[in-house]
Amino acid sequence: MSDAPIVNEFNQGPISCHAFNGDRTELAICFNTNVLTIFRKSGASWTQTSTLAEHDKPITSVDWAPRSNRIVTCSQDRNAYVWTLDGATSHWKPTLVLLRINRAATFVRWSPEEDKFAVASGSRCISVCYFEEDNDWWVGKHIKKPIRSTVLSLDWHPNNVLLAAGCADMKARVFSAFIKGIDKKPAPSPWGEKLPFNTVCGEFSNGAGGWIHSVAFSPNGESLAFTGHDSTITVVSPGTGDIQSIRAPFLPYLSVIYLNESQIVAAGHDCAPHLFELKGQQWAFSGSMDAAVKKADVGITARDTFRLMDSRAQSATSADTKVHTHHQNTINSIRPFSGAPGNVEQFSTSAIDGKLIIWNAHSISRGLGNMHI
Amino acid sequence: MAFRKIDIDALEEDAFGEDEIEFQEIGELRPLSDVEAEVNSRAQEVRSLLQRGNTSGALTTALQNPPYGAPYHAAKARNTQTVMEAVISVKVVDMAQVAKGLSPEEQDVLMKYLYAGMAAPEQYNSGHLLSFHEKLTEVAGQGCIVRVITDRRTV
Repeated sequence: MSDAPIVNEFNQGPISCHAFNGDRTELAICFNTNVLTIFRKSGASWTQTSTLAEHDKPITSVDWAPRSNRIVTCSQDRNAYVWTLDGATSHWKPTLVLLRINRAATFVRWSPEEDKFAVASGSRCISVCYFEEDNDWWVGKHIKKPIRSTVLSLDWHPNNVLLAAGCADMKARVFSAFIKGIDKKPAPSPWGEKLPFNTVCGEFSNGAGGWIHSVAFSPNGESLAFTGHDSTITVVSPGTGDIQSIRAPFLPYLSVIYLNESQIVAAGHDCAPHLFELKGQQWAFSGSMDAAVKKADVGITARDTFRLMDSRAQSATSADTKVHTHHQNTINSIRPFSGAPGNVEQFSTSAIDGKLIIWNAHSISRGLGNMHI
Repeated sequence: MAFRKIDIDALEEDAFGEDEIEFQEIGELRPLSDVEAEVNSRAQEVRSLLQRGNTSGALTTALQNPPYGAPYHAAKARNTQTVMEAVISVKVVDMAQVAKGLSPEEQDVLMKYLYAGMAAPEQYNSGHLLSFHEKLTEVAGQGCIVRVITDRRTV
């Protein structure tokens, strides 16, 4: 596959969240509105197939369960909906989820087994929702203590029980979201043994304050990486007691994922995905995965130069207002696209510039020599 | 939709207030006398290092253990003075080298003091501080500036 990132421009406004279906033939995107748009892949581009409109306020997060093919959306209107596809009519049917929160929902993710999902909210709690057969509806249990402010992001541990949460009270925590009747007792892990619902298995901070924007478990679940608004990435491994904080010289990251046990990709206000690698025992910044967009692509021709001098009295080349990265504005979401969970080969990023770009995880090793920040 | 006229968040019990945030980020506050004693002794140590011509050593010493915490106004002002004395003695040509020689924590603390100094232009030479700011940003990046803004522990 080619190394160049695949850029998809939708021109429908900033993208607040996105999710692909299991085989990556369909894409759900929210363009910062109350409505979720579903696209289907046709050749090299995407055609719009459905519009899921049920929320009253902007949708903040979406997740698409790969095996059960259900979509969950959550919104500022304090609700979440689970959407199931009616095969006959190709119509997505919404089911309301009772979150019982009194502030906006901020983030939602299906658990690895897709029998539960967790919704983070501004009412300082996380709603862990599961389907109750008797009443035929989705019901939520609250994780409240000791969260002191808005929960900004979540990540599930591979064992389907542990849940990491990044919070605006500047702490990243790992909770147990064990639901009796749905979950079997999990195997002992470095995070703890007896784990009733709402147990705090760990509470960590970055050291320089700052909201925790994103959390991610490593593929084997033994480590947790989180990134905060103080431009630091921290990796904690409770098994070895190792805590490493990297103070990055860049603008804060809003989203972080593991490619594999020794590579982390983070992206945010610098508009490009950055790679961090584990060398020996130390995590360190390796490079940007975005080779600077060449001058030719930005397109300042001689004609442009004189035109700019004429109309704006600006001289020559410093007139371009485009950022030299593929994304022109803050990236707010990274998701694995292809490859096994422990060996991501491609990942997708969506940004406020309305573009969705699919990157090749191996391109950096080939281009590292040419790259500079 | 009507706009609220009452400040609902002020009425809420169990709000995540400034005191709680300070306690979470800074921890138990030491007695004022201890902090002031430490600041004064550091001031003397920095002065003596400067007299001996050891500017980088003086700067590193000045940047240790800043008096974080709401009640320590006088100590903070005194410490800012100490740091500024060390900063002024660094020549413009040496700034990049000195900045590179600091640890990441020291770079962040220095950036906080540069901004604190620039906030009082009648007292400290802003031009000099601005040059140091430029050199420090080249070494430590925009992340260093972001940490000054987000860190609750202010100087």
